[in-house]
Amino acid sequence: MALTDTRPETGTDASAVAPSVVPSPLTIFGTGDHKAVGTFYVLAALVFGIAGWVAAALSLGHEVGSNSFLSGSTAMQLGQTSNLGLILLVIVPLFLGLGTYIVPLQVGASTVAFPRAAAAAMWTWLLSSGVFIVASFIDGGFGGSREKSVSLTLMALGGLIVALLLGTVCVLTTAVTLRTPGMTLDRVPMFSFSMLVGGAIWLLTLPVLLANLLLIWVDHRYNGGTTFGAGAIQFDQVLWIAYEPQIYAFLIPGLGIVADVIATLTGARLGQRNILLLAIGAFGVLSVGAWAQPAIYPSASDDLVWQAMGLLMLLPTLLFFGGVAKAFKDGKPSLKSPLGLAVVSLLLTLLAVLAGALLAITPLELRVSGFFAAGQYVLAIAAALAAAAAGIGYWGPKMTGGHSADGLGKLNVLVLLGGGALGGLSLCVLGFSNRFTGLEGAHDSLVIVSSIGCALVALGGALALLGLLSGARKGAPEAAADAWGTGQTLEWACPSPPPTGNFGDLAIVRSPEPLLDEEA
Amino acid sequence: MTAHVLPPAPAVQRPRVLVVGAAFAAAASFTVFIGLIGIYLAARVDVVGSGTAWLPEGATIPLQQPNTMFITLIMSVFTMQWAVAAIAKNDRVNSYLAMGLTLMLGIATIVMTTYLWYLMELDIASGIQGVLIYTITGAHIVMLVLAMIFVALMGLRALGGQFTARQHDGITAAAVFWYAMVAVYALIWISIYVTK
Repeated sequence: MALTDTRPETGTDASAVAPSVVPSPLTIFGTGDHKAVGTFYVLAALVFGIAGWVAAALSLGHEVGSNSFLSGSTAMQLGQTSNLGLILLVIVPLFLGLGTYIVPLQVGASTVAFPRAAAAAMWTWLLSSGVFIVASFIDGGFGGSREKSVSLTLMALGGLIVALLLGTVCVLTTAVTLRTPGMTLDRVPMFSFSMLVGGAIWLLTLPVLLANLLLIWVDHRYNGGTTFGAGAIQFDQVLWIAYEPQIYAFLIPGLGIVADVIATLTGARLGQRNILLLAIGAFGVLSVGAWAQPAIYPSASDDLVWQAMGLLMLLPTLLFFGGVAKAFKDGKPSLKSPLGLAVVSLLLTLLAVLAGALLAITPLELRVSGFFAAGQYVLAIAAALAAAAAGIGYWGPKMTGGHSADGLGKLNVLVLLGGGALGGLSLCVLGFSNRFTGLEGAHDSLVIVSSIGCALVALGGALALLGLLSGARKGAPEAAADAWGTGQTLEWACPSPPPTGNFGDLAIVRSPEPLLDEEA
Repeated sequence: MTAHVLPPAPAVQRPRVLVVGAAFAAAASFTVFIGLIGIYLAARVDVVGSGTAWLPEGATIPLQQPNTMFITLIMSVFTMQWAVAAIAKNDRVNSYLAMGLTLMLGIATIVMTTYLWYLMELDIASGIQGVLIYTITGAHIVMLVLAMIFVALMGLRALGGQFTARQHDGITAAAVFWYAMVAVYALIWISIYVTK
């Protein structure tokens, strides 16, 4: 059986709904079930997320005072590892995991496209992530002094990018080709549409990162590290993925989650849906940042296109903000934790985009110190994590079959809002220190506040993980197919958790909210 | 006398999952080279702008071998399309022959590339030029080998009777990836071999 074939247990014969496969080591390691693969992604990424935010807090703590608890090299490598890790080990896989699980359900498919390839991608990502972490810890981070460890880090990063791209291809192909009859592209649920846009942008930008890594590795391995592989400039060549505008590409699926959560938990159809789709599309177009590599194109941030992209990003964001705000007005918001987390994500996204717009204004000179850009990065990644936490809370009952403890989710609303805002805004304030000399004296205090913020976001990741696990515990209230009672899209039409094959016969979809049509 | 009405043919399997997936994979592979060639051109502009020649002393890039490879790969586009057209007409023999020829043209390209590396007399440790040229051309060989494996696998599946005139997405998907590989070579040909 080829990688592109469909395993029998994930067969497309939706009319024959079989009971779920009983978990065992064989079914865990050999499964091609998109639900299991998606769940593994989410669980592993949350664990990496907790570690990554703790590492970010520690590397920020190193900036405080003169007597640091870490050596300069260790702190630098820890900071760089957490910078890249939070994107490639946490945010992208979190969204990819949710996409692998939820997109087939939302589009009415019985499986993800190429289920074996999706499973291979997940295991390759997990293995490469482990190697990346271990190699980084044995002085193999960017600019590390152990040559073989550095090579291992580069190869592990290459492996995990290839894995993420393969996983993305599976989800994109599902959204493009496996939609149930009647589900035209403009009727695709918001999360699936945002995965389509976000995945396409990842597919067109992450390979450029792979190209950077390839050059660094070849130079490091065969040319003695004199050009691309020179220790001092290795990280500079990959930094662009954590910088404006590319950083926005990792927020796109979050917008879809926010829209779906708000629509369901306010009980309102999303008004001006096409405008929301347009806003997500425009957000995607404006986040293509592979061309703006400071190491290759030093004056990229002085480029008019770069500055225009940073400023124009406000438009789709505000459009999206207005569109989902209307749902609050039209519906009756239910005070559940996923709704709160969605609002937190929306607020942090707006702050990140505002910070990006300020960063793009050259006369403000906010690009001088790097603190402001670091603050924007923290805001953006915290926004993405909040969106993922909202998605995990929202689809948790579908994934586990039980309702999670809502109290944990509500606590997480406060933790992620506080953590994201403290972690990001304090660094943004510090970014103004070249204009307001008084701020230089507050350097240590602001960095401590930011470090505490990062630690809080780590706690937020832990709470999201506990919330998901609490739904799977014995005695958790059993979730109905439509766990919230106001579901609009197809994932709420199949049992919780979905059986093999997901659906029985589906009616032809006639609107973006097929479950509401059914009620009518 | 009433005419015999045949039952309707079964619906053609849609959508074309494998073709779409291969197109996405081809797009991602193409983007790797866009990135590499972008960095190559930026580095070349810097070196030439500083008043020195791009290629290090003693190194040379002859054009005969790159041109031959380009012609070979263009021929392979025709043989690959021949395979797709033949299987679409259920002409399996021609399809096997076309895929076999495509693989042979791929092998010829690998041989010619290694011969070109020998002729260039460019040391990978000679500086930024060696790193860039060998990385880009080496990565293209990797993509070519992947495309050949894809074609060979689909050929084996065709031999196993998996593809028909109505359902031959595997061969079409392999063709999509093959065309992307040839398009990548066209970029390399113009930006590295012709421009030098």
